Amino acid sequence: MKKKNYTDSVHFNGRLWCVIALLVFITIPIVISLMHGWPEISTILSGLLTVIIFPITGVIEVVTYSPLLGPGATYLSFITGNIANLKLPCALNAVENAGVNSNSEEGDVIKTIAIASSSIVTTIIIAVCVLAFAFNPAFSKMMTSEELKPAFEQVSLTVFGALAASYFVKHWKISIFPIAACSLILAFVPGLDFGVLIFAGVILSILGAHTMYKLKLV
Amino acid sequence: MFTDFKSSGTMFALALMVVAFIIVQSFFFLKKAYTRGKELGITTEKLKNTITSSALFSVAPALGIAVTVLALATTLGYVLPWIRLTVIGSISYETVAAEAALKAADVTSIDNELVFSAVAWVMTLGSLLPIILVPLLAKKIQKTVSGAVSKNNKWVDVISAAAFIGIIAAFLSSGITGVGSSKEEIVADGSGVLSVTAIVTSIIFMLTFSLINKKYKKNWIDALALPVSMVLAILVVVAICLFAPEIAQIEWRY
Repeated sequence: MKKKNYTDSVHFNGRLWCVIALLVFITIPIVISLMHGWPEISTILSGLLTVIIFPITGVIEVVTYSPLLGPGATYLSFITGNIANLKLPCALNAVENAGVNSNSEEGDVIKTIAIASSSIVTTIIIAVCVLAFAFNPAFSKMMTSEELKPAFEQVSLTVFGALAASYFVKHWKISIFPIAACSLILAFVPGLDFGVLIFAGVILSILGAHTMYKLKLV
Repeated sequence: MFTDFKSSGTMFALALMVVAFIIVQSFFFLKKAYTRGKELGITTEKLKNTITSSALFSVAPALGIAVTVLALATTLGYVLPWIRLTVIGSISYETVAAEAALKAADVTSIDNELVFSAVAWVMTLGSLLPIILVPLLAKKIQKTVSGAVSKNNKWVDVISAAAFIGIIAAFLSSGITGVGSSKEEIVADGSGVLSVTAIVTSIIFMLTFSLINKKYKKNWIDALALPVSMVLAILVVVAICLFAPEIAQIEWRY
């Protein structure tokens, strides 16, 4: 009974926070327009038409990530963004370390704590850095220097390299196929949108694992 | 600084409002989950380790996100990219959305305030769909999944591991065979020596930590393993850039 209470109340609060988030986010262009004038609707629509692929990947993201994240973590992650490269890896790493089942209520609790902590730290670091960039040009010069800039480009790869080490050791049988498949896809379709590649990776990986499960190989 | 309309006092106030909103919301969920965790009998040590480990884990990626603000700042000023990358945003979306809005307004740079408003609208509206869909769909999707869990636990464990491995595979293959959408003149954004070094060294460091922990069996080693492996791998990349810049520039897919 208690489990139902916690999960339901998380969904209720999560929905409420999403509505507040929508209001907060929409306030930004409204205030900017009040200060600087309202743009032509046709300009906005034509701009939106060009980025139509992103709302579509948005739908794919909701379907792909929300079962992995669990209730509390889903609402927080979709509001704060950077899910694939930061929030999801952070949550799953926390679940591994805590030694709880990802699909249990304990897993939900750990993932929510991980993503909340990650959001707080990320928001503060970005704020401090941007203020430092704006008021101290030397700092932005250092962060974009030839030695540091290429390293920042690799941050996501170090996240996934390290995670691969713990995941692949445990699940090596189901890991070979998706890596080979994604590498092949990229070799032949180099300009593929990264969101689409992630989706393809997830689907192929699930199909591969399901087949191996049915064949009793895992 | 405040004389430029893109970085006015009001813009900074808007950004701080968004920052405050995210932090209050995160603390709300943190407190709720922490209390529930205690009720479920998860030890304080585990809960605190989760907070520390996740906070450390986020430092390097957060710095990476902060640097991307700089890429957008030349056109948009500091504040709008800051707001956008604090919520929902991702660098790939924000860059494309800003370019799309500029193109729609038939200009190449933001020299008038109306274009800036248009860019703000496109960047915001184009990213809102997931926040509308999550309240509508998340509960349903998760209920379906937990229904499947109660039926066949082992299958669900395999499939959820597989789903995440699919994401890992997409990222790793982008470092090995590359994403071809990048511009040639930017060093290290495609796949090459640096991307493969990042992957291989982070794997080696992580495996080393897990071997060490097999011997000492300390929870804090587990909690620190991933953030420390990431930082060490990044330091190796920086060292290659510093001491062997000609090797660092080798890329097979720009």
